[in-house]
Amino acid sequence: MTVIEVRGLTRRYSGGFEAVRGVSFDVERGEMFALLGTNGAGKTSTVEVVEGLSRPAAGTVSVLGHDPFRERSAVRPRVGVMLQEGGFPPDLTVTEATKMWAGTLTSPRPVDEALSLVDLTHRASVRVKQLSGGERRRLDLALALLGRPEVLFLDEPTTGLDPESRRNTWELIRSLLREGVTVLLTTHYLEEAQTLADRLAIMHRGRIVAQGTVSEVVDAYPSRISFVPPAGVALPVVASEDGDGRMTVRTNNLQETLHELLAWAHANSVELSGLDARSASLEEAFLAIAEEAA
Amino acid sequence: MRAVAVGQAELKLFWRNRTALFNSFLGPLLVVPVLISVDAGGVPLVIGLMGFVLAMAVYYNLVTTFVARREELVLKRLRVGELTDPEILVGAALPSVVVALGQMVLFALIVGVVTGVAVPARPWFLVLGVAGGVVVFTLLAAVSSVFTRTVEMAQVTALPVLMACLLGSGMIIPLSDLPEDVASVLRLLPLTPVLELLRAGWDGGPVLRPLIVLAVWIFLGTYAVRRWFRWDPRR
Repeated sequence: MTVIEVRGLTRRYSGGFEAVRGVSFDVERGEMFALLGTNGAGKTSTVEVVEGLSRPAAGTVSVLGHDPFRERSAVRPRVGVMLQEGGFPPDLTVTEATKMWAGTLTSPRPVDEALSLVDLTHRASVRVKQLSGGERRRLDLALALLGRPEVLFLDEPTTGLDPESRRNTWELIRSLLREGVTVLLTTHYLEEAQTLADRLAIMHRGRIVAQGTVSEVVDAYPSRISFVPPAGVALPVVASEDGDGRMTVRTNNLQETLHELLAWAHANSVELSGLDARSASLEEAFLAIAEEAA
Repeated sequence: MRAVAVGQAELKLFWRNRTALFNSFLGPLLVVPVLISVDAGGVPLVIGLMGFVLAMAVYYNLVTTFVARREELVLKRLRVGELTDPEILVGAALPSVVVALGQMVLFALIVGVVTGVAVPARPWFLVLGVAGGVVVFTLLAAVSSVFTRTVEMAQVTALPVLMACLLGSGMIIPLSDLPEDVASVLRLLPLTPVLELLRAGWDGGPVLRPLIVLAVWIFLGTYAVRRWFRWDPRR
């Protein structure tokens, strides 16, 4: 079942700047869909329209079968939103801020439960202004989860988190996905998308330039083998020089090319120092797409 | 009512905010000598104090509250939740309004007992005036917040409304002492009809015109808030 349906979404700011230009994607129930892109690619501008914070200039958005802007009251009780930047009154404590939010919801979790989900129980009586950036991010997540949402919007949820909290947050998100929660994620961290997302889209200058499962997006890009050969040796494969004498071979068939190269090196007693072979990663695909599109 | 959850949080913040406490509680005491010096005693003193409470505890405090919550991105967060836009504004305004109502009752009782003011003959006009005043000044505060980038700036941006209302609404200089042309313009200020209704509650006087002026202000304020209110900071 399609939970989020975005068709031809365009968003224009009052100055006339088009931040989002004809974006389309679907998110199925229980799936995580990630929006990736450089800063200013239009991720947050897109998500804000899907959340119902503003009206699209063109195109349609449907969340759980409703227009999130015009039918806000039908959508909001079933979704949780973690904004990229959301605020809390600095002079409230963590518990007070959470209680306030709970008071606005139809069927909230107990406050203690929400705080323990994000490991903030020990900070419950601390004023919000005294929290670290990472703790504030986790409080944000606690509020997004407070209403037991069916659909969760996470806009850069782990920015500012230390590695351990980031792992814990990923674990929490995974358990939500297992429970059938649908997640729309935006992130800078490609590793985060690669680990968590079922499908993803890469945005650049307001458009989606690649979309699919992680392997679909990545498979379009070649694997790389790099090494430093002895000076003056003619290589059996096409390679480009990176500087410092390091050569890089790009191939769509890593195993075959690597075998060919190693067999040649063995037969000719050539030493390939600093040998490194790797499949294309999301990071490479991302950088290549950003470069192509630029 | 869900807005109460926001109101309760706001009330906590209000007690923790010294500036807001000062404006609400000590401010009105400072105007008592001013009002007495212009020979306001009895009913005019009570009415003047109530007008002052509306201007400071409702209008000025709410300009700073709306701006602070917007700049802290609290309004933006509340807007991704279940509350409707009016509920968010009512919730944020609740404590200032409740405190202001408490003060008005208190001042009326104290001044009333000390100077021997009679019980209002037509209390429903009093209720109408106070209710209308609270609504108008909450709306005006929301409109003023649009022009106010920071909490500190509120001292400047709130000034036109404050000065016009405090000086021009007959609190200090009775409108009857002014040329008729001037007075008829000043009757259109948002605080004037409120004070006229309060006066009507005690001493009688016109009620239809002030009710119409008040209704027009509420209509204009509602329109302006719906059209221009800013929920997130300017970038």
